[in-house]
Amino acid sequence: MNNDTPAAILKRNLWTDNPIFVQILGICSTLAVTNNLTNTLIMTLAVTIVTALSSTTVSLLKGLIPRKVRMIVQTLIIAFYVILVDLVLRAYIPEISKALGPYVGLIITNCIIMGRAEAFAQSNPPVMALWDGLTSGLGYMAVLVIIASIREVLGSGTLMGYRILGDGFTTWTIMVMPPSAFFLLGSLIWAAKSIMLKKEAS
Amino acid sequence: MRKESFFYVVAFTFIVAFIFVFIITLVNRATSERVARNRMFVTAQAFLNTVGKAENDGTKVLSEFSELFGSVEGESVVRADIDGESLLVKQFSGQGLWGTVTGVIAVTKDVTRIIGLDIISHEETPGLGGRIEEDWFRNQFRGEAIPENGIRVKKGEGGSDEDPDNGIVDGITGASLTSAAMEVIVNNQIAEFRGEENR
Repeated sequence: MNNDTPAAILKRNLWTDNPIFVQILGICSTLAVTNNLTNTLIMTLAVTIVTALSSTTVSLLKGLIPRKVRMIVQTLIIAFYVILVDLVLRAYIPEISKALGPYVGLIITNCIIMGRAEAFAQSNPPVMALWDGLTSGLGYMAVLVIIASIREVLGSGTLMGYRILGDGFTTWTIMVMPPSAFFLLGSLIWAAKSIMLKKEAS
Repeated sequence: MRKESFFYVVAFTFIVAFIFVFIITLVNRATSERVARNRMFVTAQAFLNTVGKAENDGTKVLSEFSELFGSVEGESVVRADIDGESLLVKQFSGQGLWGTVTGVIAVTKDVTRIIGLDIISHEETPGLGGRIEEDWFRNQFRGEAIPENGIRVKKGEGGSDEDPDNGIVDGITGASLTSAAMEVIVNNQIAEFRGEENR
């Protein structure tokens, strides 16, 4: 990690070190929310905002945080932002808050956020930490949106609530259940890794 | 002062926790009124949907609600006159598969037919049990006759039960347990309505 230019960080978080493909973090929410694209977009947006803000805050406070309680303070900061997001959703977009239900609270346990705080924000300046958090969130969002698009179309015949496939289409019940996310995620990781390896070889 | 000293660690943790919790308290106070209003709005809308008086104009929902139902306390049974017909309406909550299902149900005064059912909140799997809030499922309850031993939600076959006189509604394919839970919830409400009617 010696070439920390913004462009390098972007490429790393979206592709070569993607939180889902490569670091295999945040899998829990990948399985849980991806059967509906609208929920996925809001959820990943919330994760992106929380990652960016908590990384920035950790970076700002890094000189003051004692090593012994480092993790507790990081968790506190993350929980702080998640609760804020939850309150804002509840007050201003209640429909989405209703649809996401308990998942918002579970953002706290998303390993990507803690991972970025610990791996990057602890040792980098605030602006870079903000950018790193933002792009990590986007890398997470990209993968989840792909999975959600496939699952919603095949599982419900709709995309963001709009009917895509005709009424004659028999929906694949497995696609709205968690196992299908495992299959799709596995296939995606396989595809992404193959491309990466091919590039490395050439 | 040394950063790793006991005193610094305790003081730092305390101050950081205090500041963050303080901000959250402020935001919570600032939004709590809005959140409460949203909740009341959703409940009022569910009441109106249940008796077939869905109101699309958001500004009229609350006034329409208080006009028809007066003030509603918790899950008590409310008597309401809708278009000259006397109905029993109540908010309910019951155990779904994963969490509490809350909603509103209305029946005729003599508890022989269901007027309607609406879901306010639930924690069922989106796309499976979560489909209890979809129109095709809820509309099956509209005008459904209530047999002596209650409504039956049968195993889903991908369609909906069109016959309003058999006391049977079609469950959700792939969500048998949520469907069964709904059967229990609805029948519990029917039992409560009957108790209220006999008083």
